[in-house]
Amino acid sequence: MDLSRRRFLQATVLTAAAAGLTAACGGGGAGGTRNGKNLTLWYWGGGLSDKVVKDAEAHFTEVTLKSAQIGGDFKQKLLTTLTGGQSVPDITGIKGEDMASFLPNANRFLDLNDLGFKDVAPQYLEWKTKLARSEDGRQIGFPIDIGPTAMFYRADFFEQAGLPSEPEEVAAQIKTWDDWLAAGRELHKAVPSASLINSASAVFDIAVGQGTQRFIDTGNHFVGDQDHIRTAWDLAVRPYELGLDAKINDNSWNAAIAKGTLATELGAAWHALDISSAAPDSKGKWRVAPMPGGPSNLGGSFLALPRQCRNPEQAFKVVSWLLSPANDARGFADAAIFPAAPAAYAMPQMTAGDPYFGGQKTIDVFGPAAKAIPAAYEAPADAALMARYKTELTNVETKGKKPDDAWKDAVAQAKQIAQRQGVR
Amino acid sequence: MAAPPTTGPGSVAVDATGGGPGRPRFRPRRSAPAHHLPRPAARAARRGVLSFWPQYLAISPFYLVFGVFMLWPVFYSLYLAFHRWDGIGEMQFVGLQQFHFLMDDPVFWLSIRNTLAIWVLSTVPTLLGALVLATLLNSVRRFKSFYRIALFLPNVTSIVAIAIFFGAVFSNNFGLVNAILHMAGLPEVQWMSNPWTIKLVIALLMTWQWTGYNMIIYLAGMQAIPGEVYEAARIDGAGPVRTFLRITIPILRPIILFTVVISTVNGLQSFTEPQVLFGSNAANANLGGPGQAGLTTLLYFYQSAFSNNDFGYGAAIVWAFFVLILVLVVVNWRLVQRGRKS
Repeated sequence: MDLSRRRFLQATVLTAAAAGLTAACGGGGAGGTRNGKNLTLWYWGGGLSDKVVKDAEAHFTEVTLKSAQIGGDFKQKLLTTLTGGQSVPDITGIKGEDMASFLPNANRFLDLNDLGFKDVAPQYLEWKTKLARSEDGRQIGFPIDIGPTAMFYRADFFEQAGLPSEPEEVAAQIKTWDDWLAAGRELHKAVPSASLINSASAVFDIAVGQGTQRFIDTGNHFVGDQDHIRTAWDLAVRPYELGLDAKINDNSWNAAIAKGTLATELGAAWHALDISSAAPDSKGKWRVAPMPGGPSNLGGSFLALPRQCRNPEQAFKVVSWLLSPANDARGFADAAIFPAAPAAYAMPQMTAGDPYFGGQKTIDVFGPAAKAIPAAYEAPADAALMARYKTELTNVETKGKKPDDAWKDAVAQAKQIAQRQGVR
Repeated sequence: MAAPPTTGPGSVAVDATGGGPGRPRFRPRRSAPAHHLPRPAARAARRGVLSFWPQYLAISPFYLVFGVFMLWPVFYSLYLAFHRWDGIGEMQFVGLQQFHFLMDDPVFWLSIRNTLAIWVLSTVPTLLGALVLATLLNSVRRFKSFYRIALFLPNVTSIVAIAIFFGAVFSNNFGLVNAILHMAGLPEVQWMSNPWTIKLVIALLMTWQWTGYNMIIYLAGMQAIPGEVYEAARIDGAGPVRTFLRITIPILRPIILFTVVISTVNGLQSFTEPQVLFGSNAANANLGGPGQAGLTTLLYFYQSAFSNNDFGYGAAIVWAFFVLILVLVVVNWRLVQRGRKS
């Protein structure tokens, strides 16, 4: 009896081990034609329009499309899955800010140009497409959306301060950052409770994005200590020095917006949803005008096909269907996802007036901005470096650290992070 | 029935520090070898492994899980500390470079200072509060279970939920605490901006969560103290304070040392609290809030490895931190030894 039980247990263990081995090998071998019947799609809540995704599941009958909303740290989960090589999604979203860190490992993804992206590429904004192209020309990301930025402002405050309040007039008067600061001083005089901006970091983010160069150049050199960054830094510190900075660096932003202590907000198109959901009572008081100093981009994502994709041709069809200009426009209406395909900007879902913004057609501001965003090289370490500068700006705001000292520390720390990641 | 051979002297070290409530456990070192010695050595060696296989099999799940999810990652992280790796690409051997960076990195040292400050700010009130509460509860006659459950509840509440709640209560401009201060005519405090109040809020959160846990342990210890001792003290004319200082505290000493060790281990690993309190700010996620005042070492490790995908550097951070914890554990160990001799 003892023996037979032992045999039984041995057999169980052996079977389990064998099953594990088979599974492990099965995932790696990817020879022959790949025409799997099942496709999985990973995205995060709000990354794609749920309605469009649902329609895609019904629309494609040759394959079974299964979508999954992945919560938490999306990049980390994707990275772990790709490294593990098991249960890799056939189609996955990649957030715009994470794209740069995936590009050095572009060989983990399929080159979309091989699958026909070249033919549809002209429909999408070139500066956006370029952000998902590796140095050797592999196109790993299909643009979902972008984040063209603009200045959101409280028209009622502008009126009280004797400033123009209609979007066209504001656009004509506030063209440069200096104009914006001048308006801020007027606003603060008329409405003392209102600040011009929520935090210095917000200005810095936008100002860096207005340039064609960021912290690391294409030759892999650290340029975060040079004039273009210093100019952005000085600009970010100005509202603080003038007493126009609300210095909000925690989650009280929602309450601040609801209370009406912020006169302008610098943000991307999707920021409209943040404002309207945080301050439903301010409906009709906000307007949108072009960004002072020129357009820049914040956020915006991609869809990519990992190398393990079980049916690349069908997967690419799914992706290009999901992100066709017509569906892009639906995504905007449904989930405020701003399309990367300019053809969508003329569609009725996008040209409609937004009641929250007093019926203003916000596309008149965001559309032209989207097309004029400068293309800049983003290095893998870019997001980590940006975080250093923002941290030091926060130190200026909360600890009263001298801006010059904060600048030196930010540069030194950013430089070290860059060095750690192999930047010269 | 022989005792399971694998859990012999090896675990005594752990038991000695952690042998709070069951005090007799301090002694197995002496009794265990006596039990093994008379046995014929050959028999134990040859048949030991084979004849006990069902027992080995029965305990194997723990060792398998431990090996795969604890032991292997520990050594792999040591390996990583000497490499540069972004998580999916090629690994590059860089020798001691990561540790050189560590020495020059002001943020790392800041995180160590933060961690130690938060640890002291949370452990001292936690243990003192637990001791006082346990004493009170030990003399309570009615609703005993209710008090115990009520005080233990914070410990089983989701830490993320607590952190979100604390974040709302201590919010700078619109929090409950500031609203109360305002109503009382006192100046509002920028809880979530000032480097010290940030640490205070995190420490308060940890205190709130862990006081009940330590109280239960103290309570168990107090109930093991025979009533005659107290009776004798009362007859000799000792008041409650004197009884507490001269009887309860000395007898509880090993249990207090145990809670100090546990609190050291827990307190130095503060991560979720600052991560959740300041993680909602997307621009500053995992940076530990304004001035990085809430950036604990583990949060910095997480930020380096999982936000910046600098896994080699993250591994170097935790190994340096491991050395620090080791030093503190040695200090604790000394305290335990001294306590046993006297």
